[in-house]
This record gives sequence, C-alpha cells and structure tokens, in this order.
Amino acid sequence: MTKYVIGATGALLGALAGVWLMLAPFALAYQGSGADWADPTYVDFWTGLPLLVVSLVGSILYISGLVEELRRRGIVRRPYAAPAGQPQAQGPPQANASNQDNNMEQVLLPLVTAMLKDMQERDRERDGARQQSTDDVQQPQHTGEEGSVRR
Amino acid sequence: MAPQARIGLIVTAIGFFAGVWLFLAPFIVEYQKVGQDWIDATKNDLWTGGALIAISVLTLILFGAFALRDAASAAEQRSTTEEGEN
Repeated sequence: MTKYVIGATGALLGALAGVWLMLAPFALAYQGSGADWADPTYVDFWTGLPLLVVSLVGSILYISGLVEELRRRGIVRRPYAAPAGQPQAQGPPQANASNQDNNMEQVLLPLVTAMLKDMQERDRERDGARQQSTDDVQQPQHTGEEGSVRR
Repeated sequence: MAPQARIGLIVTAIGFFAGVWLFLAPFIVEYQKVGQDWIDATKNDLWTGGALIAISVLTLILFGAFALRDAASAAEQRSTTEEGEN
C-alpha cells in the first residue's frame, strides 16, 4: 500500500516540475513576452507539457492501484456492491423484485419452520396435560365406585 | 504486481529520462556555450532536471523496496497458512 502512495507522490512532484518548466521562461524572464520564442523556451515548454501529461496519467494509475489495494483489503467498499454471501441482483427491476422476494422467503423459511415445530410441541404438551388431568378426574370416580357399597 | 503499478513505474522511468534530457539540453541544443557563465535558462534546466532525476530515482527505489517487502510478507503469510492446513 505504501508503494502506491510513494509512486503517486513522485508522479505528482513530476507533474509540478512539468508545470514549472512551462512557466519558467516567463517567470524567470528569459523569454520576453511578445517576442519569438527562443531555444530555451521551446525546450522547456515542450519538455514540461509532455512531462505534465505523463505524470498526471502516472499519478492517476498509482492512485487507482492504491484504491484497488484498499478494496482488496476491505478498507474501502466497492460502490453499489452487494454484501458478501448474497448473489448480485441483475436484470430488469421486476426480476430484482422477485429475487428480493425469494431472498426474503429463504430468510424467513427456517424461522417459520421453527415456529411451527414449537407450536406443534406446545399443542402436544397441552394435549398430554389435558389427557392426564381427565385421567386424574376419572380415577377418583372409579375409586369411589370401587369403594362404595352397592346395594 | 498490478498493471497500474507497472505502467506507473514506466511513467516514473519516463520522468527520469526527461530529467536527464533537461540536464543535457542546454549543451545539446547549444544555447549554453561550454566554458561561458551559465545563463538563467541553463541554471533552471539543470536544477529542474536534477530534481526530476532525484525524484524519479527515489520513487523507483522506494517503490521497489516496498513492493519487495509486500511480496515477502505475502509469501510468509502463504507459507504459514500452508503449514496450518498441513
């Protein structure tokens, strides 16, 4: 990662040198304004302009490399990227909507299944308890009948 | 190495050669006579060319050093994960 920062800094300094070379003949006044360009002016200007362009391209490349590295390390997120683990939605908006519905179903299905299982277990427990209580109620009647003296 | 970095290195090398050209231009284009006092244009070209050479060389050396460090740490990490798997 540091290498890209160093490269971008070097390229930006090169671009600044290019700008200086284009301006220097006029800033240092060895090129009179309005006069025909002298040899040093031609050399400086036509060295400075390509240097500026090339250095700007270089700095853009170094910065794009840096951004890619940051994305690879997960420091910077890709714009409009789907979160990891989810398939990226493609196609028309209707297809997107159906995909989202399917995803929602996929997410809700285990939850609904677990709820249903829980409810069934509760029902079973309740039925079991009710049956047990009816047995308890019926047992004393039987015992009463057994204990009572029939005439 | 990423393709951007490769092209960036080529650009830095171009900057180096531009510096060398600026350093020699006053004498090649002959607006500076050998043995005479340096004119303003010559001084400017020599200083700017020298600075460009220095910047480009420093960038190349530091970029190479940090690229080697990254490659070494990546290789070390790979070997530790392979050992962990075995």
